[in-house]
Amino acid sequence: MEPGAEHESDQPQRQDRLALIEVFERDGRMGRSASVRRWPLTLGRALDNDVVLDDPHIAAHHATLQLGGGGRLQLQVGDSINGVSVGKVHHKAGAQVPLPPEGATLQLGGVKLRLRLPQEQLAPERALPALARAHLVGPLIAGLALVLLALLDHWLSLDPGADAAAWLPMVVGLPVVLTGWCVLWALASKLFQHRFDFLGHLRIALPWLLAIELLDLVLTPLAASLGWPWLWRLVAPLQLLLAVLMLRQHLMQVLPQSGRVVTTFLVAAALAGTAISLAMTQRATDRYSRPAYMSTLPLPALNLSRPVSAPQLVQELAPLAEQLAARVKKAREDEPPEGEGSRD
Amino acid sequence: MPVPLVSTLIVQSLIARSLIAMVACTLALPALAASTPAVAPTLPAAPAAAAAASAAQPASAPEATLTGAGQRIYERTRPRLLQVRTLLKTQDSQSSVGSGFLIDEDAHLITNYHVVSQYALQPTRHRLVYATVDGKQGALQLLAFDVVHDLALLKPVDATPLAGRGAVELRPQNDALPRGARIFSLGNPLDVGFAVAEGNYNGPVERSFLPTLFFGGSLSGGMSGGPALDEQGRLVGVNVAARRDGEQVSFLVPADPVRALIARGRGNAPITEPAWPEITRQLMQHEANLTERFIAQPWRNAGHPIYTIPVPQETWMRCWGQGTPQATRGLQFERSDCEMDSRIFVSGPLLTGYITVRHEAYDGSRIGALRFMERYSSSFGNEFVGQDDRFRTAGQCVERSVSAAARVGNGSKAARTTTLPLKAVICLRAYKKLEGLLDMMVLVATLDGKTTGVQGRMDAHGISLASAQRLAQHYLDGFAWNPAQNTNPTSPSAKTASR
Repeated sequence: MEPGAEHESDQPQRQDRLALIEVFERDGRMGRSASVRRWPLTLGRALDNDVVLDDPHIAAHHATLQLGGGGRLQLQVGDSINGVSVGKVHHKAGAQVPLPPEGATLQLGGVKLRLRLPQEQLAPERALPALARAHLVGPLIAGLALVLLALLDHWLSLDPGADAAAWLPMVVGLPVVLTGWCVLWALASKLFQHRFDFLGHLRIALPWLLAIELLDLVLTPLAASLGWPWLWRLVAPLQLLLAVLMLRQHLMQVLPQSGRVVTTFLVAAALAGTAISLAMTQRATDRYSRPAYMSTLPLPALNLSRPVSAPQLVQELAPLAEQLAARVKKAREDEPPEGEGSRD
Repeated sequence: MPVPLVSTLIVQSLIARSLIAMVACTLALPALAASTPAVAPTLPAAPAAAAAASAAQPASAPEATLTGAGQRIYERTRPRLLQVRTLLKTQDSQSSVGSGFLIDEDAHLITNYHVVSQYALQPTRHRLVYATVDGKQGALQLLAFDVVHDLALLKPVDATPLAGRGAVELRPQNDALPRGARIFSLGNPLDVGFAVAEGNYNGPVERSFLPTLFFGGSLSGGMSGGPALDEQGRLVGVNVAARRDGEQVSFLVPADPVRALIARGRGNAPITEPAWPEITRQLMQHEANLTERFIAQPWRNAGHPIYTIPVPQETWMRCWGQGTPQATRGLQFERSDCEMDSRIFVSGPLLTGYITVRHEAYDGSRIGALRFMERYSSSFGNEFVGQDDRFRTAGQCVERSVSAAARVGNGSKAARTTTLPLKAVICLRAYKKLEGLLDMMVLVATLDGKTTGVQGRMDAHGISLASAQRLAQHYLDGFAWNPAQNTNPTSPSAKTASR
């Protein structure tokens, strides 16, 4: 061990420490750290470096950290093919780069390092998941409500006096599906976070699923009562939006550092999916909503829609026919010039 | 009850696409409508060749016992009898085959529109050819057609091979044929060879919108357009269709429309352009007539204790009823399906020019209000509106909450003016080739009952916008409270009981 850098186990004298270098493993976890007690500090694969990095993409003497004019710390890139990235900026061999006083992330070959300096801003302490038991009350209530809703839904679909076995798919199916969902996410957490975070994902899934269910439960009858087909058609897209938000939260739990990537990916996927689905619907039906009309009927007591007279409704056929005529015209323009259509 | 049997009517046109494939058409009926549950027809549909063969069998049976009349008629008509083939222009294979007959010394001939429909719609891709019993062949021209009655008038390009063969005489209009009279249908079934099928004249088909004759004999594919003659060899009708779910139930186009087509089409120039505009014109006339006559008829009442439900008269429609078994624990309902026999063949998959009306009356007293609403809604939702296809645009709808016009009976108490709340959806589809014609679907659900309700659906195919508006209005006007139920608590029961 060179005198410049020491491992933490060597009983350091804290006041001597000028900086700390953390070396990350490939999965993003910190592998080891070295205290810096004097400048300059050399990094590379050769044994005479202060910090020896064993990576085939690193040069023998890859980089040097030294104090420049005015006491500012700077990076001198050594004789290397791959160079050094500071943050997101790449520097070639021979470059001299001043480093920010609050520290920086360095990429040397395949190795990621973090240089921590005394001026760095520390993030506040985060509570351990295990200590957040109190936060389970909300999800628990959401879970109960979700089960109740599912039971109600199933009850509605059964005829009175139905066989008890008819409840099995619901009673068994719902917990199995919910558990399966959370287990899959927990496995993803295990992969990226090294933590089987089943409860964490359950806490995410339950409130969102409840919200998705409630949206249908409230908006669908409301649309029927008010006679607003547009609101009725909005229910499915809104549910989809909630589902995307739920996915985002699951993903954030798995990849907390990649917030922007996750959001970008989800927005892109949702937009692409929506566009494809709209295009397919439009092709088949000339509309952007698959159902041709609002099929939910209001309960008699809650029927608040303002009725029109039959002749008024019949009047609305004329503009509809015009719209169809335009569609026919377009279909004719699209077809081959011979204009004889059918091929039997 | 003959319900399952008759609810699967399959009327097949009598052209042979090939020897095997037969086309369901012309007067075709409910089995084609998505609404009717399909029950297996009596003849197996899968091995079509077997079905065709068995259909052809009865035709040969009477031949064995053929009397002198049959021989005489065949001998006399033989020179005037033709096979009409539609061929693809680029090759010699036939795409459809039917029969035809000469109707004058100038060698004009009559066949069914559906025999030559491919040519009429795509004259640049097809050509028409005749073949006589004695093996002569030649090219044909299409002069005129009557798509509504399924008739076509043709002329050979070169009349000389057909000259001097005489003509099939039309039976005079005023000379009614008695029911049960022996008649002879001629044609070339399944391209097997020219044949005579003997049978009986059974008068006009009952409850048919278009005049159609009921021939108690066997007709097979390929005989379409052939003549059906009385014992004197005069034309009674033109072979057009047969039912495949029964035995010896066949149909003829009567002589009157034949006479009219000859009169108006004889001098016409040959048709060389796709005939969509002319078909549209004829369908427009038909739909105006149909709408007029449909609206002129008052609705029948379905006999529902609470609602007046529009059910059409059965003068040219047939209604079939069906209900859930009494022991059902769930939602109970009764349904009624009314359909027209007459449908107009335009091309293979396209039949139009007809109306269907149906309703379902629901009773949810055994399942309660919430469950009733759930099932009532889903029943309202599972109606097919129609997607974009070759012939029609996708269905587009308007929907509203509608208050049915208050039906004031003989009294005029204030209480009786309460209106019946309805949800109404009207969807239209436009025909891409038949410009100005629409398919309309009117969907209605009553909204007042906690555990009772009625949902009705009327479909009108191939109608104009004006007719669509009139028919929709007519149908919506048919929904109301049952006046007997709505006056006061004591009198209605007496009235319903007397119904």
